[in-house]
Amino acid sequence: MNPYERLMAYLEGRKEDADRLPVWCSTRTFTLDSMKIFDAYWPQAHKDPETMARLAAGVYELTGNENMSVPFDMALEAEALGAPCEYFEGKIKWISVKKFIATDIYDMDIPEDPIEFADRGRIPVCIDAIRILKKKYGGKVPVTGIVNCPLTSVGGYLINPVEFHKYMIKEPERIHRIYKTLNPYYAAVANAFKEAGADVIVFTEEGASLDNISPKHFDQFVKPHLTELIGMTKPPRVLHICGSLISRGLEVITSMIDCGAEAITIDQRTPMSEARKIADEHKAGYVIGGNIDPYNIIHGSSIDIVGNKVKKVIEDGVDMVCPGCDYWIETSTERIRAFVNTAIEYGTPPRWKKEKD
Amino acid sequence: MGKKEEIFERLRQAVILGETEDCAKAAQDAIDAGIDPMKVITEGLSKAMEVVGDKFESKEYFLPEMLLSAEAMYAGLELLLPLLKTEETETKEKIILGVVEGDIHDIGKNIVKAMLTAAGYEVIDLGVDVPTSEFVEKASEEEVGVIAMSTMMTPTLVSIKDIEEQLAKKGLKRKVKTLIGGGTVTEQWRSRVGSDAYGKDAMEAVDKVKMLVEEIKAAVKLMEKKRKNRKQASE
Repeated sequence: MNPYERLMAYLEGRKEDADRLPVWCSTRTFTLDSMKIFDAYWPQAHKDPETMARLAAGVYELTGNENMSVPFDMALEAEALGAPCEYFEGKIKWISVKKFIATDIYDMDIPEDPIEFADRGRIPVCIDAIRILKKKYGGKVPVTGIVNCPLTSVGGYLINPVEFHKYMIKEPERIHRIYKTLNPYYAAVANAFKEAGADVIVFTEEGASLDNISPKHFDQFVKPHLTELIGMTKPPRVLHICGSLISRGLEVITSMIDCGAEAITIDQRTPMSEARKIADEHKAGYVIGGNIDPYNIIHGSSIDIVGNKVKKVIEDGVDMVCPGCDYWIETSTERIRAFVNTAIEYGTPPRWKKEKD
Repeated sequence: MGKKEEIFERLRQAVILGETEDCAKAAQDAIDAGIDPMKVITEGLSKAMEVVGDKFESKEYFLPEMLLSAEAMYAGLELLLPLLKTEETETKEKIILGVVEGDIHDIGKNIVKAMLTAAGYEVIDLGVDVPTSEFVEKASEEEVGVIAMSTMMTPTLVSIKDIEEQLAKKGLKRKVKTLIGGGTVTEQWRSRVGSDAYGKDAMEAVDKVKMLVEEIKAAVKLMEKKRKNRKQASE
């Protein structure tokens, strides 16, 4: 069974077909090691499809991490809506916005037809990179297209989050308008990725954790609109949110599941055992990925500790072993390889099989 | 409830509920009633921000609620600050605060600024996307003891490292203490780049600033003592 077949088994609701747990990165796959070895540096890796594809596949080639994903930044859609970006040529730093240009959708450069949106900015670069990856790895290693959802994308890169968060209380209709207007455009990006050959679309909504907004606001803004956005795209889809999703008796795991993706992935700030329990009570067996700390554990701990953490997260009921977020850019190939190998070791056979036997 | 206490309570409620206009009005009423502006700040605004901080920690408040409270507090502060006596402003500890190079997200920084201001510090706000050199220049200025810097983004975490390296290179690490925080910043990052403290949220940032200010004071005292001893010995 290859990495593609394995992940698809999990995301297509037939995990009993899988020989072991998949180990992949539901967010972005790039490291300095793969930049060097595959000669794919910033900013070319953001701007040129060939270079982007080489960098995206680099971590798989070097470590066996079971997917490859584009883009590498969170400003892709915002840039296509008019946000000016800084590329940090030749530095470790990667794309960030230079200025917040909007306070509402009227300030954004929105094309009339959502289909046209996929021709904007660097979106075509990602589409071409996905084509290249699909051609080379299709059916063997899953190709992941990442879509940064409106709350994070708009409220983090187009509108100053200071104002954006105040609108949630003072002008909720503005937030609804933003989501409602932009959803077809973000869906167009997801569908263009899909058409180009992406096997999985990961929707990331990093700004929606309990570190930032209340479960009430999650249910008021995030849940209905993400449900709509995810509903506009073809499965399999994964919803990823970083940060605390369970805290002080509150949780948004059930709401995340209700958004309708085939799986969710979470980071190390949410305990896997608790997430598993909540998910099973809500929708038994729902697929969860996560949540090994990419900086402190994979990059920064001994290989023994990495092994223990992987073992623990599997015992806690994870379905797909993933870093909590992007691999930290400086992480060595050796460490990611150790992470992947321990996940393979402890993830074979998968938990459901052990329970059955 | 006396008239004074009644106005303080109105101020506190306005800040806690994030009602900007109510806060400005209550502050004006306090001024018109001739209440000592310093007292209005400490009894009204600062106490309210403490409550807001507690509510944030206990997950009753989140960023939207907190931002509106901060906005309300500033509406009152704007009226009260110009009325403070010179000696009251001069004795305040100065804290340099800014978002590091490459990042324009000031949401966390603004909340920290509100909490530090409420706690009685004078915050010198360098704004967002502050060049590394500017932090270093400010650090060379005499009266500044604590430099607080933040970033919300992963791509710009490295800017904190750049600043720490520059401060060390210029021999400024003994003179100033650094505090870091923000969405992607962690204790582990602090320990790697050599910052003096990390605050996981605005409330902790205030506690850490207090701690750093005390450390600086103690170090200055120790230095003075040594100098005195040396002087005595040479005499």
